[in-house]
Amino acid sequence: MAQTPSSEARAGLKLISPTAIYVILLLAVPLATVLLYSVLTGGRGTVGLPLTGENYAELWSKPVYGYIMLKSLLVALTVTAITVLLAYPVAYFVSFHVKPERKSLWLFLITIPFWTSYIIRVSLWFVILGYGGVLDSTLASIGLPPLNVASYSILSIIIVLAHAYAPFAVLPIFVSLEKVDRSLLEAGQDLGESRWVTFLRVTLPLSMPGVIAATLIVFIPTVGDYVTPELVGDGKEPMIANLIETQLLKLRNFAQGSAFAVASMLMVGVVSLIFVLLNRRFIGGQK
Amino acid sequence: MTFSDDRPTMIEFKDVHKYYGDYHALRGINGTIKAGEFFSLLGPSGCGKTTLLRTIAGFEDISSGVVMIDGKDAAGMPANVRPTNMVFQSYAIFPHMSVAENVGFGLRKDPRSKEEKAKAVAEALEMVGLKGYGNRAAHALSGGQRQRVALARALILKPKVLLLDEPLSALDKKMREHMQVELIKLQRQVGITFILVTHDQEEALVMSDRIAVMFEGEIAQLADPETLYRRPATRKVADFIGTMNFIPAEILSEAGDKVEVDAKGLGRVALDISQAPAKTGETPVVGLRPETLTLLYDDQKPTERETDGVIDEVIYFGDMTYYDVYLGGTDVEVRLSMRNVPGRPVLDVGTKVRVAWSPSALVLFR
Amino acid sequence: MKKAPLLRSYTLFYLLFLYGPIILLPIFAFNDSRVVAFPLQGFTLQWFGEMAADQNLRNAAWNSLIIALSVATLSTVLGIFAARASVRYRFPGKVPVMGLIMLPLVLPEMIVAMALLVVLLSIQIPLSLFTVILGQVLICTPFAVAILTSAFQSLDKSLEEAALDLGETPWSTFRLIILPLVMPGIMASFLICFTISFDEFIIANFLGSGQPILSVYIFGQFRFPAKVPSMLALGTVLVLFSIILLGFAEYMRRRGIAKAGGKDSGGFL
Repeated sequence: MAQTPSSEARAGLKLISPTAIYVILLLAVPLATVLLYSVLTGGRGTVGLPLTGENYAELWSKPVYGYIMLKSLLVALTVTAITVLLAYPVAYFVSFHVKPERKSLWLFLITIPFWTSYIIRVSLWFVILGYGGVLDSTLASIGLPPLNVASYSILSIIIVLAHAYAPFAVLPIFVSLEKVDRSLLEAGQDLGESRWVTFLRVTLPLSMPGVIAATLIVFIPTVGDYVTPELVGDGKEPMIANLIETQLLKLRNFAQGSAFAVASMLMVGVVSLIFVLLNRRFIGGQK
Repeated sequence: MTFSDDRPTMIEFKDVHKYYGDYHALRGINGTIKAGEFFSLLGPSGCGKTTLLRTIAGFEDISSGVVMIDGKDAAGMPANVRPTNMVFQSYAIFPHMSVAENVGFGLRKDPRSKEEKAKAVAEALEMVGLKGYGNRAAHALSGGQRQRVALARALILKPKVLLLDEPLSALDKKMREHMQVELIKLQRQVGITFILVTHDQEEALVMSDRIAVMFEGEIAQLADPETLYRRPATRKVADFIGTMNFIPAEILSEAGDKVEVDAKGLGRVALDISQAPAKTGETPVVGLRPETLTLLYDDQKPTERETDGVIDEVIYFGDMTYYDVYLGGTDVEVRLSMRNVPGRPVLDVGTKVRVAWSPSALVLFR
Repeated sequence: MKKAPLLRSYTLFYLLFLYGPIILLPIFAFNDSRVVAFPLQGFTLQWFGEMAADQNLRNAAWNSLIIALSVATLSTVLGIFAARASVRYRFPGKVPVMGLIMLPLVLPEMIVAMALLVVLLSIQIPLSLFTVILGQVLICTPFAVAILTSAFQSLDKSLEEAALDLGETPWSTFRLIILPLVMPGIMASFLICFTISFDEFIIANFLGSGQPILSVYIFGQFRFPAKVPSMLALGTVLVLFSIILLGFAEYMRRRGIAKAGGKDSGGFL
């Protein structure tokens, strides 16, 4: 098509406008609204002027908010660490030890559980770990005392989340391992390094972008998970999402809830940014 | 390699400019391409040759100037109505169609009956040497076959101009040389204008009636291959096409149609004005092609001029040998090529030799 | 390939961990006991019967189907616009606009849901299946864009130019060349958006107030021990359904690659 730059820009803008308008109206505007509400004075179900920093001051002054944020952060980081550590060898195996034509089959097998209903998977753990559930009844049948994992809410939340997001971590690591030039490994061994040292000095650093991507992909949804604390943790150990729900829907405190939502977005943003910067350093260090 | 200049004009460029943002891709292109001509746009990558071709096809707007196609101003004429068809560098064979569907793609709106169209497709395939390939899946073809399909697909629409964007660059050397000959034959057979974009000077010389050599968005020289080779207009053109020795020279006098120069290592030479193209302001040098220099063996007399030299390097090519020779006790080194003939040994480095040359083979750049 | 028995057994063990809970689904769905625990008590189809008889569940499934079909269609269409625009054109504001479109990938879903909910409540739009669709499209569009972008990227630009050159208009070029070649990507996008929407809980829960939607219904039923077996039966059906859909998506993807004469280079994600 014959195009001067300006007509190309027009055509592009025209083409993207339906999608752009949709996300501006239904995403950008709501996010901006939340941002605005967070600095308004809130009543029950209402918000109004004057502008105030009160909502954020409240977050700062009441330890329960900080406790929930910190707890969510720690749970999410633990889950992320477990998930990524467990996934790395799997990604490595599929990338380095599976015949090329079989790789997509293995990946398919790994990703299927991700595509089966999340609610059902989480609920199943409720049945497995719960009082008198599958785990304890199995233990009982071989004469062992029940573990009653469900009563340790945070532990069971971690187990369930680590399981739910496991397949997320394999794919990005696999992709970055696939990009590792195999002749580099031969070069490493040719230069007298053992296979293990070659892995540490060549493969692992080169696959770090994938590890960081996996970290982000697992961290973001786990830190904001709502279902697992509600169902498996029996609501006793609320995380960020549950608190937002409580503030916005149960207490109908829009201003306070918005402030908490903004604060948690900031937290997620800062942690993600740290991961991204780590990634930059790795990529930069390879030049 | 002759071309009668009385044929009508097919394409005409009048001061064509093209900008991409700040980048000045075409800088005032002028020239005409004749009907039925095999024309090449030759130049290094980034010289604007593909951009120029795409302005003919209608894929690029021009910023100013006029492109005339068959007497009509092409401005605002979209690609799908221009009487031109293109063979793409990647061939752009539609992967979800058979060979016949690809070749017949442009006939969709043709009023002819299905049978007639099928016949036209079969003929087009036969013309490019792919008789009976119609039902093959397009993605199962080799590179050479894809190119033939692309040719048939473009030619079936009987365009007035066929545009070829580096059509041979994806083929291996043997196949490329084979296709060069086939393309020339095909062009003679269909008789329409072919415009070829290439960065391969040899390819352009072999195939074209006329060649436009382009550098940095400008046409440096537009001429037939022989003129281009023997009388390059600038040192840059001379350097791009084939090999040329450049020897520092001093201009002694310039009067009427004679220029007298003193070329280092060769001595004083009187040149005809036709050997000295328009001034470009560079330091004067004379250019000599390697094959216009000859080594003289003991018994031989020079036909015209003769200079002493010492062999510095010998490069053996089987049928030819290249010698790098210092001329007449100077530090001027020239490369000359000698055909290897039985009974005439290849000489060694350090051998003192006599070099014969002809003043008429010289070109002066100044 | 080098043998790596240790890695191999680890991977198999990992797969077992991934599939473990899912394998329990059919086991207890056919188990003749209301208590979900070992030892097994014998075979029954009772839970499937209970599931099929549950009118609320049928309503919820119907609603979920309507939502998922709408979301998959809308997201894929919006995805085509965005992917095509970003692959084919340069235009001002491209990076921020694409960033905004992809943003839900890196935002906790709860934030997206709550932000939208706050606005809907403020301008007093009643919550309904429609508001669920609006919200889920936001979540699914980034996936559609990602899949379709790679589909459009693998398209050689000169194919388009060739069609124009051979006399087609921009629109007929889109219809005859571009659409058929990106069709596998469109199918994959549709199927994946459908699956995500069908499973999605948070938006369905908070933006669909009161309406029975499958994921919300399941979430509620697991709290009642008496309902768990029929939920397991439902889970079995859903998992089978997902696997069939995914198998189909994978088949489409491979056929697309074969059609374009490419080489298979991995999964569809």
